[in-house]
Amino acid sequence: MIRVGVDVGGTFTDIILERSDAGGEQSVVVTKVSSTPHDQSEGVVQGILNVCEMAGVEPGAIDAVFHGTTVATNLVIERGGARVGMITTRGFRDIMHMGRHKRPHNFSLQFDVPWQSKPLVKRRDRLVVTERILPPDGRIEVPLAEDEVKQAAELFAKRGMDAVIIGFLFSFLNDEHEQRAKEIVSSVLPDTYVCCSSEVVNSIREYERFSSTAMNAYIGPKTSAYLRKLEGRLRAAGVGGIIRIMQSNGGITTVEKSSELPIGLLMSGPAGGVIGGRWTGDNCGKSNIITIDIGGTSADIGVIQDGDLRIKNPRDTEVGLLPVLVPMIDIDAIGAGGGSIAYLDPGGAFRVGPRSAGAVPGPACYGKGGTEPTVTDAQVVLGRLDPEQFLGGDIKIDAALSETAIRDHIAGPLGLSLDDAALGILKIVNNNMALAINANSMAKGVDPRNFTLMGFGGAGPLHAVSLAEAIHAKDIISPVQPGITAATGLLVTDLQYEYTHPLLMVLDNASDADFKTVNDALDGLMEQAHQQLDADGIPREARRFQRIAECRYVGQGFELRAAMPDGTVDAGNARTIIDSFYDEHKKIYGHAFRDQACELITLRLVATVAVETLALPELAHGGRENPDEARLYSRRTVFDDGQAHDTPRYQREKLLAGDRVSGPAVVIQHNSTTIVPPGYVAQVMRFGDILIGRN
Amino acid sequence: MTQEVDPITLQVIGGALHSIADQMGTVLYRMSYSSIIRESQDLGAGLFDRDYNTLCESDSTPMHIGSLPGYLRGIEKSIPLDQWQPGDVVIHNHPYFGASHSPDIAIVMPVFFEGELVGFSANTAHHIDIGAATPGLIMDIPDVYAEGMLLNGIKLFEAGKRNDTMWKYIRDNTRVPSQVMNDLEAQIASAELGVARFQQLMEKYGKATVLRATHQLMDYTESMLRREIAKIPDGEYVAEGFLDDDGRNRGVTLPLKVTVRVAGDAVEVDLTGSSAQVPTAYNVPFEGSTKVACFFAFRALLLDTYTHSEYIPQNEGSFRPVKVTAPLGSIFNPIAPAAAEARFAQIQRIVDLIIKALAPVLPDKCTAGNAAVLSFAAYSGVRESGDYWVFLEVNEAAMGGRPQSDGPDTIEELMRNTRNNPLEDLGMHLPLICDRYEVRDDAPPGAGKFRGGAGVVKSQRFLSAGYMTHEADRHEDVPWGVFGGKPGAGGKVEIRNVHTGDVSLEPAKFSGKLTRAGDVISYFSPCGGGYGDPLERDPDKVLDDVLDGFITHEHARDDYGVVLEEVDDGYGWKLDLNGTRKLRAQMGAQ
Repeated sequence: MIRVGVDVGGTFTDIILERSDAGGEQSVVVTKVSSTPHDQSEGVVQGILNVCEMAGVEPGAIDAVFHGTTVATNLVIERGGARVGMITTRGFRDIMHMGRHKRPHNFSLQFDVPWQSKPLVKRRDRLVVTERILPPDGRIEVPLAEDEVKQAAELFAKRGMDAVIIGFLFSFLNDEHEQRAKEIVSSVLPDTYVCCSSEVVNSIREYERFSSTAMNAYIGPKTSAYLRKLEGRLRAAGVGGIIRIMQSNGGITTVEKSSELPIGLLMSGPAGGVIGGRWTGDNCGKSNIITIDIGGTSADIGVIQDGDLRIKNPRDTEVGLLPVLVPMIDIDAIGAGGGSIAYLDPGGAFRVGPRSAGAVPGPACYGKGGTEPTVTDAQVVLGRLDPEQFLGGDIKIDAALSETAIRDHIAGPLGLSLDDAALGILKIVNNNMALAINANSMAKGVDPRNFTLMGFGGAGPLHAVSLAEAIHAKDIISPVQPGITAATGLLVTDLQYEYTHPLLMVLDNASDADFKTVNDALDGLMEQAHQQLDADGIPREARRFQRIAECRYVGQGFELRAAMPDGTVDAGNARTIIDSFYDEHKKIYGHAFRDQACELITLRLVATVAVETLALPELAHGGRENPDEARLYSRRTVFDDGQAHDTPRYQREKLLAGDRVSGPAVVIQHNSTTIVPPGYVAQVMRFGDILIGRN
Repeated sequence: MTQEVDPITLQVIGGALHSIADQMGTVLYRMSYSSIIRESQDLGAGLFDRDYNTLCESDSTPMHIGSLPGYLRGIEKSIPLDQWQPGDVVIHNHPYFGASHSPDIAIVMPVFFEGELVGFSANTAHHIDIGAATPGLIMDIPDVYAEGMLLNGIKLFEAGKRNDTMWKYIRDNTRVPSQVMNDLEAQIASAELGVARFQQLMEKYGKATVLRATHQLMDYTESMLRREIAKIPDGEYVAEGFLDDDGRNRGVTLPLKVTVRVAGDAVEVDLTGSSAQVPTAYNVPFEGSTKVACFFAFRALLLDTYTHSEYIPQNEGSFRPVKVTAPLGSIFNPIAPAAAEARFAQIQRIVDLIIKALAPVLPDKCTAGNAAVLSFAAYSGVRESGDYWVFLEVNEAAMGGRPQSDGPDTIEELMRNTRNNPLEDLGMHLPLICDRYEVRDDAPPGAGKFRGGAGVVKSQRFLSAGYMTHEADRHEDVPWGVFGGKPGAGGKVEIRNVHTGDVSLEPAKFSGKLTRAGDVISYFSPCGGGYGDPLERDPDKVLDDVLDGFITHEHARDDYGVVLEEVDDGYGWKLDLNGTRKLRAQMGAQ
């Protein structure tokens, strides 16, 4: 069995290949190639061919390729999507122009309103037709004017639209009009991408539903074209096997399903990192983990609690300030990374980021013309990054340039020593990251004191211990291959589909008829899931299902996820849903009510199929203390307390399971450096991950 | 001589304060029940020191930001500093004791550290009904006592023990007790979070360091604003306008006059010359509203967060350089017991007139005339069960054209920044159905090199009989154009009954109007004024506006000098560049 994971980042495309022979022999090969932003599939195919060569396998022998892509997200950010037409209810042409009518800045007169200045569907391409469905029961007040739909479709045909969406008010209660309109449009435009709002997200709140539908159509044609092209290129290069795509919800899916519902791919890129983090945690016996994936310009933060990925509240899921009502792993991105620039603002305040030196010119030490000091320059000045070891010596860096940049821009003007200025840069950027971690953990009821902080991405293990101190995390993990953790995540992900049904039902006094509605709806969701899994050829016994009740107190506007009892829901076991909701409310807000009625808003079914998971070879047992065999040399390194120590460097590939390295120490590998400050001890785990704790 | 907190720790504490305020705001709206709080986010939350300086505030609605110190000073009249105990929760909304207006109820908790009172955790939220003369909102009432419950520095919890009598009193004196009481619970949860996080911050860095840092952060914000004020030439800048009426005496307009005096790095806003106080609720509380509007105007103009890349902490420092003067007995500083609940349209106009006054010296930072209004609608009725339903809706408007860009259409402008209510959410719970929610198409936005924003039209249909109060203005005084831009359009309100076909035009303000089943109330917001000469507008943009239906091709020709020709491409129009050049030359010569 040969499986390949490919994670495409802004600068590099990371590839991991895993081979397991019938005899139980296993090997893993990793590599990276430059990303090809004009067409990500070029880099993907090149990377796969490279990794095959390194591993000595024929591309045709690959059984499966797993892919995390930023194609869909980039289409939105760069506004390079399709020309989309919309047919909507008369009187409501501008729902997407008004959004939630809140401006993106409070204290600004010159702000931009992206949904008006860069709309997914231009006003001229939003056409209205006569129809009216009324709440609360979805009855038809005014029938659909089918001739108007036909005229609209013909006009779109003349205009040559790439895609058409249908969005009618209250279609979440009754989708009859949307479905009929879709039939008519498809009959006029048989080759055009057409989707209805109730198909894309069947939930209440018209702006969010319409905008999500528009987003789906906007990215649809080009995303599916990309996936088809990727498939074509892979086949042309002789790569065999199935192709699976990472989704925002942390599950993988087929190319067909991704093409149908591309809106599920908007977090495809960063999802792999969190899943790779969970898997690394498993390997180290840790199930409560905060992950931080630190790149050049930004850092992605995720939380794994009791071994589960946390899913974002659908009210918070957006891309480029536009709502996207699909399940997404709760990942926060902040503008802080190795390339973040340190500077003094006009008022004299000491700032780091979000402006970044990027790959070009890059940090001052790259010598590519950057003169402003960056976080990486601070690491170099403090002796935490050894110039000759940077990316295994692949990139030449000049420490003197880092010193000059920090002295000129920070140390001089503030009257600080060079070390103090560099420490200040790290302290500020670490604090920004720590606040973002807090906002994604403490603010959501997670107590970091029971969590392990895992830093990855090339720069992750440089910051991990400092961040863990700032947030009071229990301990720290530096994964075995910090630079490739996200690609690894692709090989350890389950196949996953989600289905929802809107309800609006008060559970506390629900009747038998109400429970029948719930159970019928659950049966309907199960049927949809089984149909999909049948089509995928998944055996029944491999299918796993999770049922979720999204609830709120009657009168609230925000739902929380409650667990459901197994089997049929009835008056007897409905209490378990209410109790689960109470606990969740208490956890999230610090308060919950026993005297308030609990309303079930949406039923959600998550269907998963476990894939064969990645197995790494175990390291030989070393069990040594500060092993000389792995020691390179010692050098001056400044730690967060301002103290400089003559600090030994260890070569990571020479460390064995059970080895312990006491701080101060620096552990070096090809694409990453792990800092072990004084007072900490690093312990090598059985697969090579490093667990760092206080001495 | 206290020692300065080093610049690194300063950034760390500043970031922590910002994040605390943010989380306080989030807990409040996520947990709350009424749509005005949970959907519209008509709320504010923050931390304050013993001197009532704002240390941080949530980035929610500008109107609430900066109003809380007024509440705290008002509460001190009832509860001096030495009478606070840990676990106290104080409720307050008295407009003559610092409140922004009576429906904005504050919940305040003291923060004790090492046994000593160090500050306050507080929030405000707009409650949908406090038992006023008419459901939800009020306009034509005699005095402040008709505004409903006046809660003047009352301990809802004393040392952690709930005052059940007070709790019951509030429950019994609102038309919608379930929503109001649960919203108060959400406010308490938010304040508790602020207390805990403020204490943690002091545990970590020490009380002295945290308090010194807060002063340095205030000084920093103050210095950033003063730097910008200093760039404005010293002098006196004046702008004038007028309000439609006071909601009772129809046809009697109310003058507005704003004088901005710039001297060095300080500025004074003098409202002398504006109307005397009025006999209805259409007055503005001075501490909690008039001053806050002036603070906002300078922050938005001079420290615009879109054009400034640096985050400037939200704190007391931004208030210090701005002095506000309004004669006692005027509409902006009324004398008790004048009612002062309906104040938003007026304060919007203060901000807009400050912008207008300074436009000649701040051409790159100003806007053309904004809608500068608020349509605040209270729909209500009694259900068959005998229970009231009350729904408050904020209708957006539009902004004026700007130096580099068109005025945003259909947007929350200036002092407000709430979110609209999903129509589908309303439909599920209320005997009210929306029939239209679109960009206004009966009047074009003000023409200009950068056009004004287009207004909104929203039509709500009563499915059963009820009541309605509407607070708005600006049917008469149309948003102006600047630097050659054309004026926008005034607002209007129309009521049409779907069963009888009767149509009537209504004034912007009316109180407690009885409505019938089938009455459709349509609100048309003002459209913003244009910035710069319309003949300089990029013809492609004019074509875009015609294709998008924001303006007609006649308007393109008459006001922009852009000639279009019909074309059969599915869109209908393309540019006639030659014709445009000729027409523009001809119009320019006139």
